[in-house]
Amino acid sequence: MAGNDLVDLKQAARDSNWQRTGYLHKICTAEEEQLILSAADPHTMLWLIWTMKEASYKVVNRLSGMRSYAPRSFVCSGLNMQGSSVRAFVAFNEFSLFINAEVSTEMVHTVAVLREEELGQLQTHYLNYTPGYVSDFNQSHPEYILSKNGAGLPQVRQLPGPQILEASVSHHGRYAAIVFSAPLYAGSPQ
Amino acid sequence: MPVSFLKNINMDKEEFISELKTIVTPYTQEPEALDHISEDTDFIKDLKINSANLVDVVLDVEEKFGIEIDNDAMARMLTVRAAIEIIEDKLAASGRE
Repeated sequence: MAGNDLVDLKQAARDSNWQRTGYLHKICTAEEEQLILSAADPHTMLWLIWTMKEASYKVVNRLSGMRSYAPRSFVCSGLNMQGSSVRAFVAFNEFSLFINAEVSTEMVHTVAVLREEELGQLQTHYLNYTPGYVSDFNQSHPEYILSKNGAGLPQVRQLPGPQILEASVSHHGRYAAIVFSAPLYAGSPQ
Repeated sequence: MPVSFLKNINMDKEEFISELKTIVTPYTQEPEALDHISEDTDFIKDLKINSANLVDVVLDVEEKFGIEIDNDAMARMLTVRAAIEIIEDKLAASGRE
């Protein structure tokens, strides 16, 4: 089970004024605020932290069905940057999540999972965002069918088999990302 | 007691909805949905407000009504109905002080 979140950094610079009074305090812990304000590139650090919280929320929301807007309660720690990749942890109530993020000058893309080994099993596909990006993906990847299940959650069927993979989709500005995680079930009858 | 406070605490639902509509207008990606905004309107699902801009809605509501929305209240503030309840609660609490 993975959750992912993507931020187009140029779009975010147009849409959000995170320097406004009170903004960081509403979404960040004191430690996170310090990390952002002392970073070489605070804009990118803010959206990195934000996507960690959003990706983690998507996992928790999918597991619990609970909706809430509590970004400050998703606590980021242990950021470890290796080139363009970042590993970190997020804690929320009884949940602990493992984070893998990719950072470029154009975007931040972050995946959250519950078991660290899942990070190695993920497939990530990036696309240019269009309103029809799901069918764009299906046309350019004939081995997969991306759709929504009965509950409206994204899933990928891997052809030719009946295997259905849980998926997480995210789009912002110019970009979209599709991430598949561990199998829901395998070899079930059609 | 400031006049604006007296005005706020006596507002009816329609006035709250109208104030909230003004606040969310710059952030919605679904402006047509504003035409039939109601207590049932969901900021994210119906108005397609980016979750990073929901912080702006919370901050604008704080400024407009002179209240502070704590973490627990913010966690619930996903719909117009929840926002009105939170504003009414905070205004009533500040009136008792």
